[in-house]
Amino acid sequence: MAEDQSTNETAALRALRAAARRSDVARRIQGDVEQALLQSIVEATAALFDAEASSIALFERDPERLEFRVAAGAQGAGAIGLSVPPSHGIVGYVFSTGQALALSDVLSDPRFDRRTAERTGYVPRSIAAVPLVDGQAPVGVLQVLDKRSSPTFSLRDMELLGVFARQAAAAITATRVQRDTTLLLREVIREIGDEGMTDEAVDALVAASTVGLDRDDAVPFWRLVEHVSGLHAMTDRELTLVADILEVVSRHAARAGRRS
Amino acid sequence: MTDPLLPAWSEPFTGQDTGGLLRAGRVETIDREWAWGSSTGAGVRVAIIDSGLERGHPALDGRVVESVAVEIVDGEPRVVEDDAGDLFGHGTACGGIILGLAPEVELVSVRVLGSDLRGKGAAFLAGLEWAVERGVQVANLSLSSKSDALFPAFHEVVDQAYFGGVALVSAANNVQGASYPSLFASVFSVAAHAVPDPWWLYYNPAPPVEFGAWGVDVPIAWKDGGRTVATGNSFAAPHICGIVALIVAKHPGLTPFEIKTVLAAVANDPRDLSRG
Repeated sequence: MAEDQSTNETAALRALRAAARRSDVARRIQGDVEQALLQSIVEATAALFDAEASSIALFERDPERLEFRVAAGAQGAGAIGLSVPPSHGIVGYVFSTGQALALSDVLSDPRFDRRTAERTGYVPRSIAAVPLVDGQAPVGVLQVLDKRSSPTFSLRDMELLGVFARQAAAAITATRVQRDTTLLLREVIREIGDEGMTDEAVDALVAASTVGLDRDDAVPFWRLVEHVSGLHAMTDRELTLVADILEVVSRHAARAGRRS
Repeated sequence: MTDPLLPAWSEPFTGQDTGGLLRAGRVETIDREWAWGSSTGAGVRVAIIDSGLERGHPALDGRVVESVAVEIVDGEPRVVEDDAGDLFGHGTACGGIILGLAPEVELVSVRVLGSDLRGKGAAFLAGLEWAVERGVQVANLSLSSKSDALFPAFHEVVDQAYFGGVALVSAANNVQGASYPSLFASVFSVAAHAVPDPWWLYYNPAPPVEFGAWGVDVPIAWKDGGRTVATGNSFAAPHICGIVALIVAKHPGLTPFEIKTVLAAVANDPRDLSRG
């Protein structure tokens, strides 16, 4: 009986390891799904509000900062890659408090802190910002600059922006779970494991499943995965050529395997 | 003497002295003149639990009497004196709105934002607790926490405020899901309306959000002595806060639910807008 259980555990662990490996490979080959989703959300926001710019900043640690990851609209591009401290500015306030707000008449105030705006090459007249809340904690901020049809934002605008923010937060949660192998395994183990399983037991199982998943790019397997992930931009003709080369290589590997 | 067989809870209603039950008057006799006519808010302390207050800002008119900040040291919140001013401008905006309605209140700044983000829920809670124990009569909370873990602790301090006669005015949060303490029944929860009049207030008999105040395109004080125009529930709450301070100054000892009743009695009728 005890032996049966340990065989089962080994099989389960093997399955988890395979899942972890596949998830890692998929993550590397698939590229950044999150980025694409967020991009579509800011594009929709900028179009719907007919705004000069719309962007999303996500919270990152070490050091704590809000990093603008995607932007859209005629004046949006300058924001991408910019980081601001969460203890600073409108975006920081909205993130820290979870309260949506809008400011207008920003330009008419000579003392308004414009440093961040100037770094983007665009100083807005009006800003609306809403928090992206994932469950209990904010994960970032969605902002819209300068609605062309009006110098200010209405309550309806704020509510609409809140709806977009909910979509964005849901997308971020979903893609983050899928991207992060450890998170994914933890979710799966919690789902299928005993109800009484402690966090420590879950963590131990996750660690056992991901051991040997060497992320070092010098490891030949991951080098190969990296190369495959780099093929996205190729045309069908080029991809056919690569597939043909790989077929020759894998036939050769199969023959070598039989010989040894 | 009190009948020993009566539970203590009945005593206020059945004891020798029922004078504690004598109140201001029936709801229909309350109007704005009775509620806050000639009140300036003098003698009332209002805590602004926010991003700090810029003491020298012209909009605050030297009315800031105390400034503290909550710091998280080794995971534990600690209340210390604060001279950092206002990190965002938001606390100053709230203070300015309150003084616009109640020019003689004293403001107490409780800065709970701007330090370590990891402890911000705990810092907010500790700041609120400090303000309630400090004996302010009114507090403005233009922020809330979504942490379920902090629910019981917030509930406790909010009840403590309610029974201690401290009116907590809390901006509603539009983000989906529960947020504390704005959804607790004992706080004055406020959302924005768009009528550009600081005295225009609504009572909503279908909560969770009970009161509406001006929160769209509100001219506000902002960072570094500046001014701007802003929209959000967090600018509606200080309007109710200012009016509450006026009522408390004129009628010391009114309890939070009595103040709510006064607000409900003098609330604007939305039909008045179309009547011009």
